[in-house]
Amino acid sequence: MSRNPDPSLVIRPARSTHPAEQLGIDRRRFLAASGGALGALLLAACDSQGPESAKGILKFAEEKNEIVERALLSHSSMDVPRKSAKIAGERFPSYFVSRHVPVWDEAARGAWRLEVGGMVAKPLQLSLADLGSLPRTGYRLDHFCVEGWTAVAVRTGVRLSDLARLAGVDPHARYVDFQSFDDDYHESWDIESAMHPQTLIVYAQDGRYLNAAWGAPARVYSPTKLGYKNTKYLTKIMFMPERNGGYWSDRGYEWYGGV
Amino acid sequence: MKRHHVVVRITHWVNAIALTIMVGSGLRIFNAYPAFARRGETFCCYPFERRPIPASLTFGGWLAGARNWHFAMMWVLALNGLVYLGFIYLHGEWRDLVPRRGIFRDAWEMVRFYLTVRKDHPRQGKHNALQRLAYFSMPMVGIMAIVTGLAIWKPVELSPLTGLLGGYVWARYWHFWAMLLLVALTFGHIFMVFTVDPYSIPSMITGKYREDLSPEARNARPFVHLLPTNTRDDVPQP
Repeated sequence: MSRNPDPSLVIRPARSTHPAEQLGIDRRRFLAASGGALGALLLAACDSQGPESAKGILKFAEEKNEIVERALLSHSSMDVPRKSAKIAGERFPSYFVSRHVPVWDEAARGAWRLEVGGMVAKPLQLSLADLGSLPRTGYRLDHFCVEGWTAVAVRTGVRLSDLARLAGVDPHARYVDFQSFDDDYHESWDIESAMHPQTLIVYAQDGRYLNAAWGAPARVYSPTKLGYKNTKYLTKIMFMPERNGGYWSDRGYEWYGGV
Repeated sequence: MKRHHVVVRITHWVNAIALTIMVGSGLRIFNAYPAFARRGETFCCYPFERRPIPASLTFGGWLAGARNWHFAMMWVLALNGLVYLGFIYLHGEWRDLVPRRGIFRDAWEMVRFYLTVRKDHPRQGKHNALQRLAYFSMPMVGIMAIVTGLAIWKPVELSPLTGLLGGYVWARYWHFWAMLLLVALTFGHIFMVFTVDPYSIPSMITGKYREDLSPEARNARPFVHLLPTNTRDDVPQP
């Protein structure tokens, strides 16, 4: 406590030394030093990725976050877009990593087939017509992009859990890798998210077959994953015992990418 | 006796660092899509749609970098906040912060004093009424930031929460507002510390505070009576 018994009654201060002077620092130097330190701190922070030594901590946090995200994942929590939300339609962004819109070259590579393989009893080779003949599931769904935007589209296709049953997936498979013909784009998922009822192998958007910009002939789509996890231009669905990274996951984005 | 308990002092500075990183990385994330409208729609309530925040105010370097910082630092911010709130609840400091009866009347008196309508500094305890309101709002807005943050982190898995906030687009908007309020409160706080009570800075570092230099003792308003009057009874005058 101060030397004065009732500080609220003190009107005129008894002493006049600046706190810095009490510490034996010149007032002007004190101001210059604190200003300089603050400036250096701000400069270091502005638009930087932060110190290199923080990488380990960030990686550690991502691993712990994955545990939380996996615990939050539930097969009964469904994405239901707001009633007022408009279908984005033609305004739905298109995105790919190749220089040009990836189009399956039938002349060079033969007819397109979706391969379901890896830890399965019965590997599948499905044409677009085969996919169309399987039980059809459609949802009006939100799309959550890692950038922060959302868009609503009607997605129609086959539940991946239906395909898994058809292929007889080994119960020890823990991961699924979705591969594409958009250069080397692929993303691997945890099997729990892949078996979510809203995880679809989509071949139609807003009631029409996918166009090239939106991932034709087929793509994976689940509202439980951020956009970049949902591989377009699918070629292979591989059930695996270990995770296999991914195009953006290997470039610094979190691997789990749950929503 | 120290003005601020060591737990309060530590959580204060941890919060300052965590909040700075959360705001910087959050703005970098926002810049990846500096708008609120759903694709194919327009948004009523943000006049700067598609105009990014200046990069110099952001942190993280790029979207993934900023996201990694944001999702790591959120635990520090939340856990630090829990420690602080738990401590002031158990230790009794909450009594200095929770608004009392007549808080708005007292706050109005402070405003009148700052506007020089009133000559003498209103009587106060540890904090004046405006400080109480600010220091009480800070954790409240912090909770708002965390709740809205959870809603846009997990809009599907926590869809009841996101729905309560009006859906993802609105939850993101409220999260942005929580950030704006936190920044405004912080800048107001820093401004008042430097223009009214710079002598309180050591009290948030070492805990020491000289009551005889308190704003009430100096009758101080922003920039006025900033320096203690140069009268020292124990030193002979020239």
